[in-house]
Amino acid sequence: MLSYGLIGAYVGSGLAVGIGALGTAAGVGYAAGKAIKAMNRQPDQSGTLLRTMLIGQAVTETSGIFALLVSLILLFKGGDTSMTAMFAYVSAGLCIGVGALGPGVGAGLAVGATCEGIGRKPENSGGLMICMLIGQAVTQTSVIFALVVTLLLIFQTHTQSLLHNAAILGAGLSMGFGAIGPGLGCGLTAEMATSSIGFNAKSSKAVTTTMLLGQSVAQSTAIYSLVVAMILMFIF
Amino acid sequence: MDGEIVKAAALLGAGIAMGLGAIGPGVGEGYAAGKACEGVSKRPEQAGLITRTMLVGQAVTESTGIYSLVIALILIFMFAS
Repeated sequence: MLSYGLIGAYVGSGLAVGIGALGTAAGVGYAAGKAIKAMNRQPDQSGTLLRTMLIGQAVTETSGIFALLVSLILLFKGGDTSMTAMFAYVSAGLCIGVGALGPGVGAGLAVGATCEGIGRKPENSGGLMICMLIGQAVTQTSVIFALVVTLLLIFQTHTQSLLHNAAILGAGLSMGFGAIGPGLGCGLTAEMATSSIGFNAKSSKAVTTTMLLGQSVAQSTAIYSLVVAMILMFIF
Repeated sequence: MDGEIVKAAALLGAGIAMGLGAIGPGVGEGYAAGKACEGVSKRPEQAGLITRTMLVGQAVTESTGIYSLVIALILIFMFAS
């Protein structure tokens, strides 16, 4: 007998890590490029630059790791062979895969600007690193929302109906695509904040406050997506 | 059965509306916030004015995200239930 659940799990697993790796890889690569450029300018600071780059890349990698984790869960879960499970697994894969695109690129942008700033004025490296880490943490919020929806989609007990199938596919699309914009936007904010601290270290406190305020507003659309996804999952 | 398919399409549409609709405002508000950070860094004494302008700009940027939310909720609660 054809197992719809397994088909969904394998397709979802491929979508999750395939699409999810795109954004993260671009972000991490951008960071490395900027770090190398900064090392060219300040060869004696290469130790600090390497450390900053690696810490920043580790945070950027988070969203890719979430996608990998979901992919592995889908590969080895098995069990449920129903049509609804197929929809749930494909939706889960799309949700975390597409959701990882924006935060991956965004967090990488912040690392790039930080490395550039250290290359310009190495004495600012402490304040820059703090601002970068705070900005990146907020940037990753939207992928965490996507992970929550994904895990709920995989482990929730589903009712078998056409309406529920459409609702869970809609929930995955809503949260997945909804995480791109806020992730990318908060990353842009963090990039500009770190680059302006790189120019003027004295303003780091005021800039970090403005960055957090702006990022929290930018996350609001991710919260709308989360609300719509939750309504779709739990009402139908 | 036809009614079920229409309702299912409404639910799927709600998800697509909110998902794609959230991309633009997110990027735009983030860009506005970034430019505000640059402004605060250049002229820290104007931080209050810059933050206020940023918030007003972001509120207007948010409007298309709210349109998507409204359409998604209409699709869910008027056409699918």
